[in-house]
Amino acid sequence: MSGAAQAAARGLRLVASGSLLALFVVPIVALALYPPLDTVLAEAADPAVRASVAFTLLASGIALAVTLLLGVPLGHLLARRKFPGRSVVEAAVALPVVVPHLIAGLAILLAFAPQSPLGALAVRLGVPVFATVWGVVLVMVYVSAPYTVLASELAFRAVDDRLLETARSLGASPTAATRTIALPLALRGIVAGALLSWARAVSEIGGLLIVAYTVYPSGPYAGPVTSPISVYIYTVYQISLAQAAAISVVFVLVAFALFVLVRLVERAGGLPWRAGALPL
Amino acid sequence: MTAWRLSGLSTERAGFRLGPVDLALAPGETVAVLGRSGAGKTTLLRMVAGFQTIASGSVRRDEDDVTHAPPEARGAVYVPQGLGLFPHRTVRRNVAYPLELRGGGGAAAPAVRELLDRFGLAGLADRRPPTLSSGEQQRVALARALAAGPKLLLWDEPLGALDLMAREELLAALASIRARDKIPMLLVTHDPTLALSLADRWLLLDAGRAGYLGPVGPLVAAPPDPFAARFVGYENVYAGGDGGGTRPGFLGSLADRFGPGGLAVGVPTADAPSARGTDRFLATVDRVEPGPAGCTLAAVADAVPVRLRLPPGSPVPRRGESVSFRLAGVPVAPIGGARAGEA
Repeated sequence: MSGAAQAAARGLRLVASGSLLALFVVPIVALALYPPLDTVLAEAADPAVRASVAFTLLASGIALAVTLLLGVPLGHLLARRKFPGRSVVEAAVALPVVVPHLIAGLAILLAFAPQSPLGALAVRLGVPVFATVWGVVLVMVYVSAPYTVLASELAFRAVDDRLLETARSLGASPTAATRTIALPLALRGIVAGALLSWARAVSEIGGLLIVAYTVYPSGPYAGPVTSPISVYIYTVYQISLAQAAAISVVFVLVAFALFVLVRLVERAGGLPWRAGALPL
Repeated sequence: MTAWRLSGLSTERAGFRLGPVDLALAPGETVAVLGRSGAGKTTLLRMVAGFQTIASGSVRRDEDDVTHAPPEARGAVYVPQGLGLFPHRTVRRNVAYPLELRGGGGAAAPAVRELLDRFGLAGLADRRPPTLSSGEQQRVALARALAAGPKLLLWDEPLGALDLMAREELLAALASIRARDKIPMLLVTHDPTLALSLADRWLLLDAGRAGYLGPVGPLVAAPPDPFAARFVGYENVYAGGDGGGTRPGFLGSLADRFGPGGLAVGVPTADAPSARGTDRFLATVDRVEPGPAGCTLAAVADAVPVRLRLPPGSPVPRRGESVSFRLAGVPVAPIGGARAGEA
């Protein structure tokens, strides 16, 4: 390739990458610049906003724990086992990604409505779904877990079989080999998937509009009646764009701070997936 | 002191059938498994290790039948190609791994320190395997295997891609395991040095079938096939009909004595083309390969390739130049036939 052609290709790459990055950043800058600073500060201090943010962090935290607890074993199963009906399981995992979330919300509502068998069971077990933190958690798990499952599957698949065989040969049971070798080596990928899942969970609105537009205290949530943050912002937006933008800025800052914190801890070697540090 | 017996061991996978293989391993005995790529060497090791389903036959450890025991319950430590070192663990924690599994104190255990010292790994204990040289990695694999207290060591290609010095070190380490720990070993190798210096017996596999099993001596005297002939050090190997008995020239002269079948021939010494003698043959140099014991000449004589050794200090011929050689005193063995002799 001639020098001029190379320069043209480089220029094209720069323009393409720059355009996409601008698309990512410019709307956030526009959002940040729109509300007056005192409105942002006022919203940040508003107990109703704080309640919504706190509730969202609580519900998304529980959803993440459930997602990891159920999603990582499923990812491991898909990566390591051949079994009949595997393609059905893979299709089921992809379902929440392809079904529009408003429709997913309707489906969850119908499946868990108090008069349905599942809903009645949930009520009897003390975890009613409609308008509770459990409903929010359920919707969040539904829409976000596929990312953890898929990331775990890829991460486990990337672990060299020979390492696991060596571990077995050195005396490890299948479970011990998974715990001591596969899991630490897959952890980076799993954490990346978990971060995606969490981000997806906190940004959910479609399913929540149906299942838990308003949330009443129940289970681990003892705060005031509130809404998940996306629903809350949507509600305020119908009254005041500036206020909605100000609350959005507050939540983006909180989410970004959490994300930076995770990265900083990872960089400092404080998280267990830093190779070898896992006490297994 | 454990003895092993493989009886009629066979398996089938994706159209490839291996076996039946019969092999008894005495305590402390080392058997080298040799064969071309795809002969089933690794599959055999994996069957014994418990990673390959056994279709028929049995694996016995002393009096115990471990044919269908899970890998962790066999006492046979398998070191795969690539060594299987855990990249997320330090050298110390790799070596400590088997002890951790048994609740034996892990990285701080005296046994770990002893193994690190024995294999010269103490200074590398806090490094991770990917940062080590291949020789160091081999020593880690060896120390870790010993930490598991193996009753049998199954090692796929121990010498891998080691440089000369690392090979010497590893051979010495394996020899010490044989002499000191008396652990029987089943080694898959492509490396004649390893097999010659370490193995008590050789097992040849050919396309899944077990062939020769025994000490190396008879194998040198009468290699069963061209692969075995090359493996035991014959550099000039001719299948039946490679000029033998059908045309004049050096192969024809050998065929007169050894018959028309395949022939394994050592390396004749190259002389100046003007050298005199009744049994001399002329060859044209195609390539010169320098080596520690003088140059090897890849040449063509009577339209047949022949490798010749140039004595150190001799003038090196160029491509296309002629040299002469004699077969007198050169080891020759009929392939798959009677015993060897000298030409």
